[in-house]
Amino acid sequence: MSNSDKLRSAAEQLGPDGLSDLRSRAAENFGTTGFPTTRMEDWKYTDLSIASDISVAALDDFRVDLPPSYEIPDIEAHWLIISNGSPQVGGLSAIDGVDIALLSEADVDLQFDLPLADLNLALLSDGLKLTVNAGVNVDKPVGLLFFDDADTDSLVSQGRVIIDVQKGASVQVIEFHTTRGDARKYANVFVDLNIEDNARVDYARLQARDLSAVQTARLSVAAGRDATLRHFALDTGGKLVRNDLVIDIAKTGADVEFNGLYLADAGQHVDNHTRVDHRVGPAHSKQEYRGIIKGRAVWNGKAVVHEGADGTDAQQANHNLLMSERAEINAKPELEIYAEDVKCSHGTTVGQLDENAVFYLRTRCLDEEQARRLMTHAFAMGVAHRCPIDACTTWVDSHVEDALNALVAEDAK
Amino acid sequence: MLDIKNLSASVGGAEILHDLSLSVGTGEVHAIMGPNGSGKSTLAQVIAGRDDYEVTGGSVTLDGEDLLDLDPEERAREGVFLGFQYPVEIPGVNNAYLLKAAVNAQRAHRGLDEIDAFEFLKLAKEKMALLGMDQKFLNRGVNEGFSGGEKKRNEILQMAMLEPRLAILDETDSGLDIDALKAVAHGVNALRSPERSIVLVTHYQRLLDYIQPDHVHVLSGGKIVRSGDKTLATELEERGYDWLKEAANG
Ligand SMILES: Nc1ncnc2c1ncn2[C@@H]1O[C@H](COP(=O)(O)OP(=O)(O)OP(=O)(O)O)[C@@H](O)[C@H]1O
Ligand SMILES: [Mg+2]
Repeated sequence: MSNSDKLRSAAEQLGPDGLSDLRSRAAENFGTTGFPTTRMEDWKYTDLSIASDISVAALDDFRVDLPPSYEIPDIEAHWLIISNGSPQVGGLSAIDGVDIALLSEADVDLQFDLPLADLNLALLSDGLKLTVNAGVNVDKPVGLLFFDDADTDSLVSQGRVIIDVQKGASVQVIEFHTTRGDARKYANVFVDLNIEDNARVDYARLQARDLSAVQTARLSVAAGRDATLRHFALDTGGKLVRNDLVIDIAKTGADVEFNGLYLADAGQHVDNHTRVDHRVGPAHSKQEYRGIIKGRAVWNGKAVVHEGADGTDAQQANHNLLMSERAEINAKPELEIYAEDVKCSHGTTVGQLDENAVFYLRTRCLDEEQARRLMTHAFAMGVAHRCPIDACTTWVDSHVEDALNALVAEDAK
Repeated sequence: MLDIKNLSASVGGAEILHDLSLSVGTGEVHAIMGPNGSGKSTLAQVIAGRDDYEVTGGSVTLDGEDLLDLDPEERAREGVFLGFQYPVEIPGVNNAYLLKAAVNAQRAHRGLDEIDAFEFLKLAKEKMALLGMDQKFLNRGVNEGFSGGEKKRNEILQMAMLEPRLAILDETDSGLDIDALKAVAHGVNALRSPERSIVLVTHYQRLLDYIQPDHVHVLSGGKIVRSGDKTLATELEERGYDWLKEAANG
């Protein structure tokens, strides 16, 4: 059987249900396109052949009925569990003011525009649709736990969540990625977030997969009139990680801020692509990503200010700390401006710890490793402190500290 | 206390200090003056352990112990303090956190328990009051966005917290207004004791009006070309350095 036949047959095994037609169309599409390759501008630095290998191996032994497995993170939230790509209906707790439905039972319009979205849909056992009702202020963060667990062979999981935040509502969302078990794992996750007029979303994407895991994740945001988004992304795990954050501003007054921290130890490859489309003005977007790198990282931040989007204010910054001579970063800010009266700025830095400062701290009795750790930590926390969800703060602080200690400890030798 | 014998040091292949000797007795205050670029900061940094400078000859001992063999942090824990001519900004590292980590690292070296948080705060506030420093500086990043004078006061605060055996203050008086100068002098004088030695690197007689030195040295062209008592400072103020440079060369 060819790989496309295997994909089609896997898609069929997942049905029949409300998604069957979509799956077979998506499988058809992916059969012709396949994975993005490094010949494509957007994928120049990130080679997905390892994701493809894991997928092919997983399709050889495709299982639709993996037992659910998960461990809730130590963060106070309404947790919704997606284990090995399957939403755990049994674990769905009711949340006041939020309607929760399975995608197979909801009436949704899913896009076919990207190969990875096709792959996602072709192999999607099911997804979730959350609707935060108009005017509701959800009491606790809503946590989406993407938990992959397999011990042997290869595991491919698809996650798909659609979140509709209706007019004037406000909600905090935690997208949490983690893994267990020794299998080679590839997760492909899509989240669509629609923030209606005057609504507010605080969002934290926390990725702590194991160091052999592969992830591609995409969050697409549509921001309504005077909508507010505060987004924070943390990547410490994964062997190969590619995140896309795509924000579309089609109504005036939107205020979006997105910040991120990525740690790439030796052997890790972490790629963050962000794109914000200012279609109208005035509106405000601001981003800052910071990276601490011993392995390899990519940051590509694109802001497009479309014709007529006058009064746009778009700022982007990316700062990288290279922790080894073999560390690599491809950092690229891209501003495309077709409007008038626009305030845009971008700044990218790549550097090492300031040796003057290391010496200064050592003359203040701190040993060299402590000095380096302190400075690296300060650099990381400079952006991690902007995580907009208080319930995550303790977890983020201690997780970042642990990850940095591991990274710096080897470094001082 | 501090014995420097025939010290030579270079940076980037150029020798900056030539065969320099200097002894600072316990309980003494010495002032080092000298033209720009003569090697004063180099000397201070070599004593503190900066490894950009290569020591090509000579020795530096503190109460008989070889300092050149120690890492900068070991020297600091042994009681060597360097007040930087240009204190370094360390964004995001909390000033109070650094003070406490410094005090604790030194206490650990002396076999003492960590300082109690309450005790630490009390001590820090006490020292800040002495220096006329607002407590809000505790919660700022280390020197982050501090004015020139604020940075210098912060150096003295660190010194006051660490209570060093040997303090080398590299132009701590530069860029200070009159009140700050008095506050800094007050901080230094408060530390003055029969067990401590202080080396002041300065360009101005003015500081020495507030902190009376026991000895004054002139460093020129990488060596000490003249030593005397505090009247030497007054003489330098009037005559400049040229006559000394000539004397040294001739
Ligand atoms: N990294 C370096 N490479 C080359 N030359 C250096 C380096 N660091 C210092 N020097 C030189 O060493 C000499 C002594 O510098 P130093 O900073 O010790 O002078 P100073 O006496 O403290 O002067 P000032 O009064 O201006 O502070 C100067 O000529 C300086 O340019
Ligand atoms: Mg100097």
